[in-house]
Amino acid sequence: MLSWEFPPRIVGGIASHVYNLSRHLARTGVDTYVVTCDFPGAPEREEVDGVHVVRVDSYTTPSSDFATWDYLMNVNMQEEAATIISDLNGRVDLIHAHDWLVANAAIGLKHIFRVPLVATIHSTEIGRRNGLHTNYERMIHQTEAWLAHEAWKVACCSRYMASHIQWAFGLPENKVVMIPNGIDADIFKQDFNKREFRSKFASPDEKIVLFVGRLVYEKGVHVLINAIPMVLARVNAKFVIVGDGYMRGSLMGRVRNMGLAHKIFFTGFLDEQSLPFLYQCADVCVVPSLYEPFGITAVEAMAAGVPVVVSDTGGLAEIVEHDKTGVEVFANNAESLAWGITRVLLSPSYAELIRLNAYRKVLETYNWSKIAEKTKILYQWICDEYQAGSWKPM
Amino acid sequence: MNKLAVELVKKNVDTYVVTYHNSWIGQHEGANGVKAYRVSNPVKAQLNILTWDLTLNQEVERVAADIYYSVQRKVDLIDAHDWHFTPAAVSLKRALGIPFVFSVDSLENHRSHGSNAPLSLSIKSLESSGANEAERVVVKSDWMKQEVNQIYKTPLEKIEVVSPDSLTWIDEILNAYKKALASSNSRILGRGLG
Repeated sequence: MLSWEFPPRIVGGIASHVYNLSRHLARTGVDTYVVTCDFPGAPEREEVDGVHVVRVDSYTTPSSDFATWDYLMNVNMQEEAATIISDLNGRVDLIHAHDWLVANAAIGLKHIFRVPLVATIHSTEIGRRNGLHTNYERMIHQTEAWLAHEAWKVACCSRYMASHIQWAFGLPENKVVMIPNGIDADIFKQDFNKREFRSKFASPDEKIVLFVGRLVYEKGVHVLINAIPMVLARVNAKFVIVGDGYMRGSLMGRVRNMGLAHKIFFTGFLDEQSLPFLYQCADVCVVPSLYEPFGITAVEAMAAGVPVVVSDTGGLAEIVEHDKTGVEVFANNAESLAWGITRVLLSPSYAELIRLNAYRKVLETYNWSKIAEKTKILYQWICDEYQAGSWKPM
Repeated sequence: MNKLAVELVKKNVDTYVVTYHNSWIGQHEGANGVKAYRVSNPVKAQLNILTWDLTLNQEVERVAADIYYSVQRKVDLIDAHDWHFTPAAVSLKRALGIPFVFSVDSLENHRSHGSNAPLSLSIKSLESSGANEAERVVVKSDWMKQEVNQIYKTPLEKIEVVSPDSLTWIDEILNAYKKALASSNSRILGRGLG
């Protein structure tokens, strides 16, 4: 498995996905190697929960831009992975690449060893940027398309993404497989002093409305800010906004101009230990994204037992069933969002119902053991097709 | 390059050239017996020479691997010319045990007048990997031999000088290839070069 991030190197969501997927695959008996980038203090080679983790020199010489750095990092990743596979006498059944960030290395290894390649596409450039506007964006898009084309099967985490990547890369329907993303529900079972922890964020008479995500346009946090006065007109609440991003300065400025600085708490990035506690203190969790391939924060909130209000877009619309496992509101619509938030905060029995249903759904669907089983079935399917074919090292 | 390939064929070396062309892709065997494989870049939008090069290397690897498997793995040696395909040469060596020669026509240090711009530094890192992972480095002059040694710390005994003006240049290149084969730990025995 190739991934540009793996704990302790955590940049986005791929690190946690690859960590959980690989260790649950190892539990099901799949001999799993993860080749990833180095990180200060992390060993070059180690075994993590039965997974062989190899960290390669991530190319630290200055580069002109992120994509050029990434391609140079891929040179090191491919050379190191080639040595690992060669040391295993080429006996690797499958290479699994996560996103375009490791496309070059994965494609090179596929051809050199003639091993099938499976790619998980977590999100797309055309989706992240809402179109392709520069050569930089077009290059990343074409690298994603190249990876999707070279892969035996392409995995993605929602039906929305399956249809999106078929459209974006012109893929046949039977090349795309939907396997949901998962979460580790156990992290929400730790004991902590709830009253004391909660008091860091809100006074006892305030409900907590929680947002977790990057402060970027596609996450729709500006829609939440616009909804706040409408919520406060009916409920006394504190809005806790976790995360950072290029919109942070302008959002904080807007909040000051609205005279609401005392009702909104921008925490910045929160450490891994505190975030599960904060979820458990929240009265409602809001995911107002405009573009969302999956929507892991909604699943995290559901696992923590917090009612969720989400926009009816992308993967979110599949995770949440309106009035059953959460509240769905119109995307990019502050009035609708305010309606959803007040509906949960003003009706404790309704909040309790969707909270319990949501928790059950998380255990049934977004459970890493089940996701690893599904992934193993996909691997087996590819290996069977590969065995029946003639493209092999001769 | 063409001259080298043609002369190698005359010396009974089974020679495949893997190179780039934007549109004239695929296999072509000329009357001179050189088998040329041209690949194009699967990524058309590019930012700079490096991004172009680092998305083309996988196509070079694909074709090189196809050749390797089509001749029952009997590829003795790869000769990589300048920095562009050193990533492919290093990966093929590590993966399949094929030794390689790094042929240096020019160095980034001279082309860029010692620039330390990120692009030049990256090209130098690819040259460094070629110079140090290759079994032999072939240069065209004693001056270049000293330069490779000073810039990339490649031991002088690993660097072969073959002057293009020499009447026996092709024999000298073959000799460099044989030395590369002899110093390689590869399990593959020489064929045509032995």
